Amino acid sequence: MSKIIDLSIKEKVYKSKKLQLSILSNFNLEVAAGEKIAIVGESGVGKSSLLNIIGLIDRNYDGEYTLLGSPTNNLHTSELAQWRNQKIGFVLQESALINSMTIEDNIKLPFLYAGSGKKELMPEDFQSVINAIGIKPILKKKPLECSGGEKARAVFARGIIMKPQIILADEPTASLDVENRERIVTLLFKMNKEFNTTIITVTHDLEIANRHDRVIHLERSK
Amino acid sequence: MKIFKFIISKTFLRKPIVSIGMILLLCLANYITFTAARSILSTYQGYRETQSMVQEGVYIANLDPDSGIGDIDRNGTQAVYDSLNNNFNYAFYTDGFMVSIPNNDNMEISLCYMNDEYYELNQFELSQGTDLDFDYQLDEEIPVLIGKGLSKTYPVGSTIKIEETALGHPITLKVQGVLKQNAYHSNYYALNSKTYYNFSILFPVNEDFINHANIDLQLNGLMDLTLLQTTKEEIADLSEVIQDNLGLKFNFFSQEDNYDDFNESYLHSLKIMSITTLVFLVIITCVSVWNALVSILLMLKDFTINLLVGLSYSKLRKIFYGYFGILSSVNLAVVFLITAYSRYGCWLRKDATFATYGLFGLIGMDWLALLVIVLLDIIIGIVIVETMLRKIKKIPISLGVLQ
Repeated sequence: MSKIIDLSIKEKVYKSKKLQLSILSNFNLEVAAGEKIAIVGESGVGKSSLLNIIGLIDRNYDGEYTLLGSPTNNLHTSELAQWRNQKIGFVLQESALINSMTIEDNIKLPFLYAGSGKKELMPEDFQSVINAIGIKPILKKKPLECSGGEKARAVFARGIIMKPQIILADEPTASLDVENRERIVTLLFKMNKEFNTTIITVTHDLEIANRHDRVIHLERSK
Repeated sequence: MKIFKFIISKTFLRKPIVSIGMILLLCLANYITFTAARSILSTYQGYRETQSMVQEGVYIANLDPDSGIGDIDRNGTQAVYDSLNNNFNYAFYTDGFMVSIPNNDNMEISLCYMNDEYYELNQFELSQGTDLDFDYQLDEEIPVLIGKGLSKTYPVGSTIKIEETALGHPITLKVQGVLKQNAYHSNYYALNSKTYYNFSILFPVNEDFINHANIDLQLNGLMDLTLLQTTKEEIADLSEVIQDNLGLKFNFFSQEDNYDDFNESYLHSLKIMSITTLVFLVIITCVSVWNALVSILLMLKDFTINLLVGLSYSKLRKIFYGYFGILSSVNLAVVFLITAYSRYGCWLRKDATFATYGLFGLIGMDWLALLVIVLLDIIIGIVIVETMLRKIKKIPISLGVLQ
């Protein structure tokens, strides 16, 4: 399988006025296309920070990162934004919706940034995602009118609407009941199976983690 | 544009209190700066205009504030003018004598009387016609200059019949020329204050005219009298003549003395106003930055989601500048409208001495002051936008932010 992520971090440092915290020291990660990886570890070890680095949000670290065969360290912020839009899908907790917009507008949001001549939203693609996730009845509702499970599925729909090559899921099931949790995990793995999408999930739930191909335990730097 | 509209409508306008707060703060900063800038510009114009008075031997009359008012009669004022005519070279000027003559704007017209010396000293610029002629007889048509506001009703060469109050009988004026639009005269003692000649008639006076004029014109003429090529000793003699004949105490100051007086009082006030404006601006800018940072915290979740799905920091910067540009334009429009309405108000009130012409009603110094606040808004805009972006970049985009 081809290598989709090649990340080598010497050190990631968080600085504040009183404190300097070093995380992810000498951390290396190689991920193949279509692989499912779970990242686990205690709070504060750098799970979300790692996701931010992989998702091209955070470049403030000492290290090298090659994504889909291209070095990312010298990319301009607009190129990084384009990659986040086209190649990476973020699946977050259900709170990650804009409350002033309908569920439909939230899901279609990535197309606003797709730019002309790039990906276009095909009505049949949209419908197939909506049908697969089962959120047609709530499309015209605002997030505050929906249940936690409905919102989680809407966030998921937005994460996959651009058919990304990589899905980064940050605690996507943390505040869901068992039924909805299972639904989201099934949808994630279905994406992986049908489109060979690489899945990287940060979770505290070991049961979910163990259903991935690989589990990476992050530990605090010494 | 689509992204800009989206962010503005779905983010900023969803928090109207933030936008309204910013508009009010900017409006305050702009109006304070506009007023201060215009006052400074007007003072500079006054300085420039009165430069012609700064000459050796030139002294300007000023009624002493402690002077009593004696029994003043026509014989007394005439005696003073006899002394002036025999011993002095002087510039005579008095205005504020209103006359009603038909004109397109139904303004009351101000007659401004001046003699040859005053006219030479002040170098009036004409848009049409020729300079004033002071060598006329009282029973002839008297050549006058008029302001731009009267030029359509009374073109060069036309005549105006008026009931002249200083002479007390009807006279005929002949339009010799038209002053440039917005020609003005600054107050010697408050250089930022000026009267405009757009609806005035500049009336030439000679010795014969003064000798036949009534007491009002003669007395008022003394109040703004300028003595030329004279000495302090000669002035002392004149002061005595005035005291003896009118019971009034006059002081005579050179324009440099007037500048000193101006520097002591008014310029000091101007400095205080400038410093106060600057302090206010710093405070308002700080409050605006704080307001912007609060708005970022309120909208951080929305910004974060947009950044995750493809909004770039460079695009966000453009959106912030665009948003600030709109707020700034709204404020400029408000200041513009207030100023234009204030200028237009002079026309509505038929205030002939302040009615001015200009592009959209604004005169040159208004436009310059507007330019100053455009520059100010650019500086405030850069400070606010870059602070907002720094704040957004400083907060790591993570699940924590979204929660």
